[in-house]
Amino acid sequence: MSDLQKAWAKNRLSAMPLETFDEREEEGEETGTVSELPEHVDDDSSSASSASSTGTVIPSPSQNLFARPQGIPRGRTLQPIPWITYFERELFLRDEDSPTSPTIHAYLTSPVDKGPLFVMHHGGGASGLSFAVVGDEIRKRLPAAGILSLDARGHGSTTIPEGEDLDWRLETLAADLLSAIVATEKEMKWAQLPSIILVGHSMGGAVVTELAKSGKLGNALLGYAVLDVVEGSAIDALQHMQTYLSTRPTGFPSVESGIEWHTRSRTIRSSISARTSVPSLLRFDEQPGDARPWKWRTDLGATQPYWENWFVGLSKKFLEARGAKLLMLAGTDRLDTELTIGQMQGKYALQVFPEAGHFIHEDMPEKTAVSLVDFHRRNDRSAMVLPPKVSDLLRQGKRV
Amino acid sequence: MSDLDKAIAQLRACRPIPEAQVREVCHKARELLIEEGNVVTVTAPVTICGDIHGQFHDLMELFRVGGDPPDTNYLFMGDFVDRGFYSLESFLLLLCLKVRYPDRMTLIRGNHESRQITTVYGFYDECLRKYGSANVWRYCCDIFDYLALGAIVLGAANSFPQPTDSTRSEEYYDPDIEIEVCDADGNVMSRFRRDNGTSGDSEQKSPNGTAAKTGPPGSGASGSSGGTVGNPTGAVLCVHGGLSPLIDTVDKIRLLDRKQEVPHEGAMCDLLWSDPDDIDGWGLSPRGAGFLFGADIVKVFNHRNDLSLIARAHQLVMEGFKEMFDASIVTVWSAPNYCYRCGNVAAVLELSEDAGGEGIFARSNGEVGRSDGGPGARGVLMDAENGALVKGGPARRYRVFQAAPQDSRGMPAKKPVADYFL
Repeated sequence: MSDLQKAWAKNRLSAMPLETFDEREEEGEETGTVSELPEHVDDDSSSASSASSTGTVIPSPSQNLFARPQGIPRGRTLQPIPWITYFERELFLRDEDSPTSPTIHAYLTSPVDKGPLFVMHHGGGASGLSFAVVGDEIRKRLPAAGILSLDARGHGSTTIPEGEDLDWRLETLAADLLSAIVATEKEMKWAQLPSIILVGHSMGGAVVTELAKSGKLGNALLGYAVLDVVEGSAIDALQHMQTYLSTRPTGFPSVESGIEWHTRSRTIRSSISARTSVPSLLRFDEQPGDARPWKWRTDLGATQPYWENWFVGLSKKFLEARGAKLLMLAGTDRLDTELTIGQMQGKYALQVFPEAGHFIHEDMPEKTAVSLVDFHRRNDRSAMVLPPKVSDLLRQGKRV
Repeated sequence: MSDLDKAIAQLRACRPIPEAQVREVCHKARELLIEEGNVVTVTAPVTICGDIHGQFHDLMELFRVGGDPPDTNYLFMGDFVDRGFYSLESFLLLLCLKVRYPDRMTLIRGNHESRQITTVYGFYDECLRKYGSANVWRYCCDIFDYLALGAIVLGAANSFPQPTDSTRSEEYYDPDIEIEVCDADGNVMSRFRRDNGTSGDSEQKSPNGTAAKTGPPGSGASGSSGGTVGNPTGAVLCVHGGLSPLIDTVDKIRLLDRKQEVPHEGAMCDLLWSDPDDIDGWGLSPRGAGFLFGADIVKVFNHRNDLSLIARAHQLVMEGFKEMFDASIVTVWSAPNYCYRCGNVAAVLELSEDAGGEGIFARSNGEVGRSDGGPGARGVLMDAENGALVKGGPARRYRVFQAAPQDSRGMPAKKPVADYFL
């Protein structure tokens, strides 16, 4: 622990009245939410915590993570965490040649030297900040890595020109992702594209697979990772989706209550992740007499016509596209027949996190990051050394 | 009837045995396994089996098709547990049989015989469900660490023994048959002759019906019955996954310290994780562990170690078995309709005993190009470069079988689909 942290912890402990502890513990038990305090204590002592790395990202004063207790403790624990905690900058990317193209909002931390760029695509209804925490965890383990995480059209702060209909076809989303990568390269004046690992969650998994299959990233693409989406089980789940969506609250009285709902319903099981990503899912839309003015930014119900289009053929494309393949699932029962066969034929790497929910990377950012960094390490062409080929040895006249 | 026989009977009925008995069996098994080397020597005849994956009823079908232990000498190449619903009964039955008939049952380790993998793919949950605690899982995992990493089969015959039973004798007996594929009832589905001619003069298809690059056994190309290295004394190496760049001789396997959890990398990991592939040399495995290895690697390894064949499991093959690289390596898969839905058949590989004295094939002296062969017998590598096949392995009988009719009892109810999936 650094001196700064020690000093901070000392301050914090002395400033905190004893009752606060009790109150908070009770709160956690009653609501089933993850109590914030243990996470904090843990963060302080663990080398793999956000506490030890935040210094490299942004000075701590702006860190709500470490803000002194203010007001009622519960309010503090649900306080949103701003994106600047995790990313170097935000970009508004636009393809100037195409008037109908959206202005894509993306978060970027640039890769250093020859570091890889992890390009993240969130799932339906989420946002680019879904990958904020895991991105940070990746950079702790692989400091040279860059993270580019965008908001898909209809999500987050990405906007489409006035009068354009929302087009959520898979091809369109994949084209948006490609143009965002190209535009980022231009904007950042990179001499060439860094080596890219595509990471997609759920619907985003379908998008990155589509882009990988198209081969448009050429040799820059090292591999792609798909998080918790499999064609068979996704299609099975679709029929329940409208029912599920109808049980969601339509709005929240405040951003904090939105965060609370996500953690309490265990949609997102880490409060740090929820506090990071949930604010970007909601927008303030006050109407007279509405007690719940914070509405969902994305009208998921309206995307229904596209659902099948996202997932049909996904397993086949996943197996056929070029590049290293990683599938991360929250349960082995999610595999469909095609991918079960593919897995047992050794065609891709499979990681299963039974303890996680659908938002694997938000529920278990550290483990997800470990897998992704390991995936990159294995497929990093610059570092890869394979044993010499027998035919080469023979040609050199060596005995084999 | 001894306790052990009772346990075997109970397990055969697919009923788990009490925890205390598991502990006792594991203790005895450990004493046996600790004495085994990393590479067990097995003498033909032997029936070689691939992945089981907890498909207990299919294991019973395997015993029906292949013959009951101890009448049949079995060699299982790992992956007994996970995915199927009866990992516990399957593994414990095999282990009890091992303890009861140590010389008739050989078990080697697969990549699923690992603590880390079993916690994710079902075995751990199954133990917890059936015993209410993880103790049995712990006992089993301790045994996993003692399982051998490979086996060498010696004394396999080059030709099938002359049939003695009346049902077979009406069939034409041909001592040059190299491969015989039988269905579950023992009826011959197809035969492939060893061809004495030079390469490429036969149109016969491989038993898998796949392209020539998988080395159609019995096609003209495998006509090295002139005897390059194809000889009765050429051993068969059995290993779960495949080769490792760190292992160039079988003796190097013997030097490993195997009594540990399967590591993430290194020779032991590779032996359990690697796959053969149509590449040149070594390649990166898409699995995230182990390597891919090409025909050249297998041929050099077999030649150097005086092997006629490598038998391995690890990869699902829809036809139950698949010979590759001019029949220098074969994948055997013994879990029919894998995961109860993949629609594949399964197979076991029978190697018969050399009748003795019929050594029409001279033993290779181990020098490239100096094999005492018939026409066209040359060094392994030169032959490989000419596209000719070099090795006639031992006579191989594949028994192909389908999934046993399943009763759905004991299957956990299918988990409800995820709420949110966009």
